[in-house]
Amino acid sequence: MNKLYLWGIIVTIAMLGATYLSVGMSKGGINGDIVNMLAIAGAVALVIITVFVVIKYVRQMQTDTAEGELADESWDNIGEYKNPLPFGWAIMFLGTMIWGMWYMLVGYPVNAYSQIGEYNEDVAAHNAKFNTQYASITGDRLIEMGESVFLAECKVCHGLSADGIDGKAANLNVRLEANTVKHVIENGSNNQLLGSEMPMPDRNGLFNMNSGALITDAEIAAVSAYVADGMDASNKAGAEAFAGVCASCHGPDGMGMEYVAPSIAAFNPTLVTNVLNHGKKGVIGTMPAFERLNAKQKEAVGAYITSLSAK
Amino acid sequence: MFHWLEKNPFFFAVGVFVTIAFAGLIEIVPNFAEASRPVIGTTPYSTLELAGRNVYIKNSCNACHSQLIRPFKSETDRYGHYSLSGEYAFDRPFLWGSKRTGPDLHRVGNYRTTDWHENHMKDPAAVVPGSIMPKYTWMYTNLADIDTAFAEQLTVNQFFAVPYNKPVPMKDGSTTVVKMGGSVAEANALALAEAKEIVKDMKDQDVKDAVASGKIPEIVALIAYMNSLK
Repeated sequence: MNKLYLWGIIVTIAMLGATYLSVGMSKGGINGDIVNMLAIAGAVALVIITVFVVIKYVRQMQTDTAEGELADESWDNIGEYKNPLPFGWAIMFLGTMIWGMWYMLVGYPVNAYSQIGEYNEDVAAHNAKFNTQYASITGDRLIEMGESVFLAECKVCHGLSADGIDGKAANLNVRLEANTVKHVIENGSNNQLLGSEMPMPDRNGLFNMNSGALITDAEIAAVSAYVADGMDASNKAGAEAFAGVCASCHGPDGMGMEYVAPSIAAFNPTLVTNVLNHGKKGVIGTMPAFERLNAKQKEAVGAYITSLSAK
Repeated sequence: MFHWLEKNPFFFAVGVFVTIAFAGLIEIVPNFAEASRPVIGTTPYSTLELAGRNVYIKNSCNACHSQLIRPFKSETDRYGHYSLSGEYAFDRPFLWGSKRTGPDLHRVGNYRTTDWHENHMKDPAAVVPGSIMPKYTWMYTNLADIDTAFAEQLTVNQFFAVPYNKPVPMKDGSTTVVKMGGSVAEANALALAEAKEIVKDMKDQDVKDAVASGKIPEIVALIAYMNSLK
């Protein structure tokens, strides 16, 4: 027998044996389930085909001689026959050309990967999900969302407990602190807290309607303490000054008036949203605007901050 | 012709090089030229900002902070719009960085302010609990190198045509002019004027006094640079 066939038989037996052992020793064994049986059938077929094909071509290499008409061209004395291309190769060659044209004209232009495109799809998907899941939440869930946004965006300046980290930012656990009130009265304010330009005059434009005179230093001190303490009526001088100077715009209870003045007695989501939209400049420093939050997130932060000082 | 090329490997190699280089030329160069042009709204650095940028480089801020926002939802939520190549047109060198021990700073000017930086650089952990960023106290006393910044301005203005003293288009359709001094003295005066604007929002009395007496501490230049990153 030819040495080649002998090797073929040895390799076949070795590979089939290895397959039998590896499947047979695995969990379930050869007859364990359909997957194992299919796998071993596939392995047997593969081994036999492989050995058969290898033997065929090795034999061909051993015995074949080339024949045909030589081409005129000789490349460094290496000749070439004018035999026609094998049919399978020709099909693949044509197929490659057709695929190439399709890929160049349709495949790539239509399906090209774009990083920005993927980003835009991501954002659109996220926004759609946000709209279905969170667009209509209210109450405690809104406050919860506000807290999570606060912890991501606001705590860097206002601190984890929203106390402003020792005066580095506004303390959001109270509506206003005395030094802020004093600063606003002395310098005026133009922070668009109502969402539009509605500047408050500085001390040279603030009259006490009861006395008819400009606000005095004593009145500023008294009313600052009064507003910061949550409008405690025991502060008589402060209450009087408030009624005379501030109440005409901010309301007798300090809750503000629509289109005229913001609430200085309590936070509300609209007020916070306006601060987030326009930023703020005051005695402590400048707060930047946070326009990249969406409307619901701003409302949520407003709800959370309002809840911090709610009684 | 091809027989001749086949017999002359050197010229064959030259031919291959020219062919491939041509493909690269028409595919890469036009795209690169377009992408590296400054985007509208990108302005050259002023003298003080450039001095601050040098402070940033000197202290290796870029070892911990990147300046490159990638186009992922999680990044744009946190830092703002993803970075565009034209936004680095005036960065020599760019400071993309490759490691984020701290957050990205490419648009830090949009969401942090002068007074925040002042508190933060003095004692980062006092502002951001758990921060491992070291204190940069020397920046409050060391003086910024305005002369070097001016030399850099002159160089890039002359050799790369960086548009100083020329109108630069802004996003809202208007134009703005970034001034560059004509002499060292003029550049120092410009930087000082800018520094005075910055310290209005600062609280450190020593820094305020230094600027009032005509000196510019590094922290002021650095804050000017931080605020310019938008």
